Amino acid sequence: MIKIENLEKVYKTEEVETTALNGINLHVKEGEFVSIMGPSGCGKSTLLNVMGLLDKPESGSYKFIDTELLTLNDRERSNFRKRNMGFVFQNFNLIDELTVFENIELPLIYNRIPASERKTLVNEIIERMNIVNRSGHFPQQLSGGQQQRVAVARALVTKPKLVLADEPTGNLDSSHGNEVMELLCELNETGTTIVMVTHSSHDASFSNRIINLKDGHVVSEKINKSRNEELI
Amino acid sequence: MFKLNLKIAWRNLWKNKGYTFINILGLSIGMASCILIFIFIRYQMSFDEGFKNEDRIYRLTTNWTSADGFAESQGVPKPTPAAFRNDFKNQVEKVGSIRQDGGVIKVKDDAGKERIKVQEDVFYAEPEFFQIMNFEWLEGNPNQSLTQPNTVVLSQEMANKLFGDWNKAVGKTINYQNRDNFTVSGILKDIPDNSSFPLNIVVSYQTFKNYKNENFNSWGNTSSNDECYFLLKPSVSIDEIRSILPKFSEKYFQKDNSGKEEISAQALTDVHYNENLGNFANRTMPKKELYGLAIIGAFLLLTACINFINLATAQAVSRSKEVGVRKVMGSLRKQLVFQFLTETLTISVLALLIACVLTEIALPGMRSLFQDNISFSIISHPIILVFIVVLVIVVSFLAGFYPAMVMSGFSPALAIKNKISANAGGLGLRKVLVVVQFSITVILIIGTLVVLKQMNYMREKPLGFNPSAIAMVSVRNDSLSLLKYQILQERVSKIPGVLSTSFCRNPPSSSNNNESNFRYNGTEKANFQVNTKVADENYFKTFGLTFAAGRGFSKSDTIREIVVNETALKKLNVVNFNDALGKKIRIWDKEGTLVGVVKDFNNLSLHEPISPVLITTVKENYRNLAVKMDSKQILAVMPKIEKIWNDTFPENFYSASFVDDDISQYYETERVMGVLFKVFAGVIIFISFIGLFGLISFVATQRTKEVAIRKVLGASTIELVRMLNGSFLIMVFIANLVAWPLAYLFISKWLSTFTYRIEISIWPFALAMIISMVITLITVSIRSFKAANANTIDALKYE
Repeated sequence: MIKIENLEKVYKTEEVETTALNGINLHVKEGEFVSIMGPSGCGKSTLLNVMGLLDKPESGSYKFIDTELLTLNDRERSNFRKRNMGFVFQNFNLIDELTVFENIELPLIYNRIPASERKTLVNEIIERMNIVNRSGHFPQQLSGGQQQRVAVARALVTKPKLVLADEPTGNLDSSHGNEVMELLCELNETGTTIVMVTHSSHDASFSNRIINLKDGHVVSEKINKSRNEELI
Repeated sequence: MFKLNLKIAWRNLWKNKGYTFINILGLSIGMASCILIFIFIRYQMSFDEGFKNEDRIYRLTTNWTSADGFAESQGVPKPTPAAFRNDFKNQVEKVGSIRQDGGVIKVKDDAGKERIKVQEDVFYAEPEFFQIMNFEWLEGNPNQSLTQPNTVVLSQEMANKLFGDWNKAVGKTINYQNRDNFTVSGILKDIPDNSSFPLNIVVSYQTFKNYKNENFNSWGNTSSNDECYFLLKPSVSIDEIRSILPKFSEKYFQKDNSGKEEISAQALTDVHYNENLGNFANRTMPKKELYGLAIIGAFLLLTACINFINLATAQAVSRSKEVGVRKVMGSLRKQLVFQFLTETLTISVLALLIACVLTEIALPGMRSLFQDNISFSIISHPIILVFIVVLVIVVSFLAGFYPAMVMSGFSPALAIKNKISANAGGLGLRKVLVVVQFSITVILIIGTLVVLKQMNYMREKPLGFNPSAIAMVSVRNDSLSLLKYQILQERVSKIPGVLSTSFCRNPPSSSNNNESNFRYNGTEKANFQVNTKVADENYFKTFGLTFAAGRGFSKSDTIREIVVNETALKKLNVVNFNDALGKKIRIWDKEGTLVGVVKDFNNLSLHEPISPVLITTVKENYRNLAVKMDSKQILAVMPKIEKIWNDTFPENFYSASFVDDDISQYYETERVMGVLFKVFAGVIIFISFIGLFGLISFVATQRTKEVAIRKVLGASTIELVRMLNGSFLIMVFIANLVAWPLAYLFISKWLSTFTYRIEISIWPFALAMIISMVITLITVSIRSFKAANANTIDALKYE
């Protein structure tokens, strides 16, 4: 589904040039759950941002089911993103002023889904995420795990083809972390492609394939047998 | 500790340069406006101050109550002072008359050659006047210098002008009106600008009394030139005088059925402020206008302070950690409040310095607008310094107290953990303040639009005659001059570009008016007075007056034929104007035939309704030659008129004015008000909108993360800009709704002072709304567009 070739990204400040991505090649199949790992500063978040169309690389190619995405303009990128991708962040990034229900509803609004349909979709996902009794609460009133579940719900409500997760358990304790990982696995099992950046090999063990980055290169790739066997 | 606080204050100001700039700019403009307004008000309030016994000095005035209403004059009939002096012996210490006159002053050099010829105001005053009002004398004194006839006292400046050096002036002579020679008997110290008594040449009253044609027994004539002042005895209250004055009036005034005439007393302290009664300086400043200005000043300052409060509370969150740490270290709330107030004071002082510079820059404009000699000198008027100090303290407190209370009130536990939410700074209050600020702005916008529209209406309203390109050239009416009228008129008429000329006393619309009783068609005296105009037969053509019935009168030097206006006949209940033609009218003890009815024209300012008017011929009462010119040739014609005039009357002083200038002079107050409104509306719009810009900047920064999240979720730039702008547009919209009724009250009250006025329509309101909304939209969009376009990732990554 995703074909990334020779991707390069350089950050420039007044004094230093940092090469964040240095000729990355990466293929992701539909329905795959891929983890990206590596030490701090190896470019994994940058890669995820490029994949999520939040950042633009200097050169290379990024094809999403045969569509070249790097040539799109801002508006097209924005439209593509809202139709095809969902995001889960380490720090949840919920809007404090909106309730759980409203937070989840937001991407639907931007996708111009009619109000009645929105309600059904949101209620459906709230039920699935097991946060029904929280739907009227504000983010600050929830625990970290609950907040992350809301974030996941928000990422899923538009039924995206690809979910990008940036250290989704980084701000959670291990039991809440596991909850979120199980949620992602469930999601993956229903056919959603997931790309996740993580530090934790425990979290990575939930995925089909683990990619190791260093200094902007892919240094190794490992198929997670146990998980794949599980799949079969 | 103080040094540390100052350091923190300075670094904070520097860190938030943008907000600091907005705060200081807004405050300094607001303060500068306040200082300017204060200087002006102080100057106006300083008129006629500093006389010994000033609280016991009063002026006698005259008023008439009739079916037409109430009228007042600053003058009294000539026998009044003597009668008053006699009848009020027990209550009044001194009574003094002073009369304003004016004419040509000539000074000859030692060889007898004419050295100086100038037109000047001349006053006749009794010695008592100067005993009541203790003006400073450099030479001579009231008792000696003004008791003899044909003596004159000059001001220092006038003496310098006429004789080169005031020290050498006493004993020399000046010639007045080619008629009298006066000997200089004293020198007055120059009278300051802020006086209702511009006394430069004062002749002894005895001189005036000796003139043969002046009648000192007639109670039937009141001239605003004849003023009379008195000094109350220390133990007597003015109410006592006022209670006796009606009897006094009854005793002397002739009773008739057209109205009641009375003498009343006005305090010296009211002379500068009462616009219904004038004064010699011809400058009055109604107190309500001063109050209006003070209110505008307060509004300006309030607007600037609101900016400050809004930005300070909005920024408060960023300083919550400092507050938390200080509290943990043992700081008391009081100390924190004091710290923040010190910061505000620092900003206020900075703003004040800039405000002083702005004041100096704006002062010349203000001087020319009010045609007054106001100065920003702290040394000569220490009260200005006091005002400035008070201003800084009030501003610091007004602007700083609330933010200080908010910031010092943060809970230390939350503050240290950075858990103070942005709404802690009183989001609701900020919104209310923005609404207040914009309500003021919108009221001023509406006010400005209405004032300008009314001014425009007055400029363009057809007056019923054509005042353009007509010069009023003054002529004297002594017997010698009268002989030369015809030759002057003939020669002026021959100048190319002169279309028509007419001898008359006043143009159709004038601030100089004569009212008179009359008899129509042999009946008894009419129950109203007519506004009389005397003019020759060319008056109607020269001023473009048109007839509703009949014709203009034919040539005559005395009353023979008469023309009235429509209003006069309507008041006489004549329905068909043609019926009135040929009827006899008796006025000034002479009889004439009504030959024409002129269509109504505005004979007074548009504040007043049209009076009944009577026009007839009385040659010796003409004062002007009206010259109608081709408007393209005015520049060429005027010098020629002046030359012919000087050839004809070599002894006299040429003076001319344009009718349309004189008419626009009626609306000088409104013109000044229009300029003030434009300026202050501009200033207030500026202050409000930089405040708005500061606030939207803050909101945009504060909501960066939210904007980023929404962007990731697919919001377009336009959607984000709309989201950020939304609350501001709503606030400004509410401000419009608040402002409308208030503005309506204000403008309908103001417009009601005009008899001829524009209808209040929806459009100034709608336009004000459009203006305020569009500027808001532009202001906030500039910033929110930038915020919506910013790179999203950084905001998402970090807390």
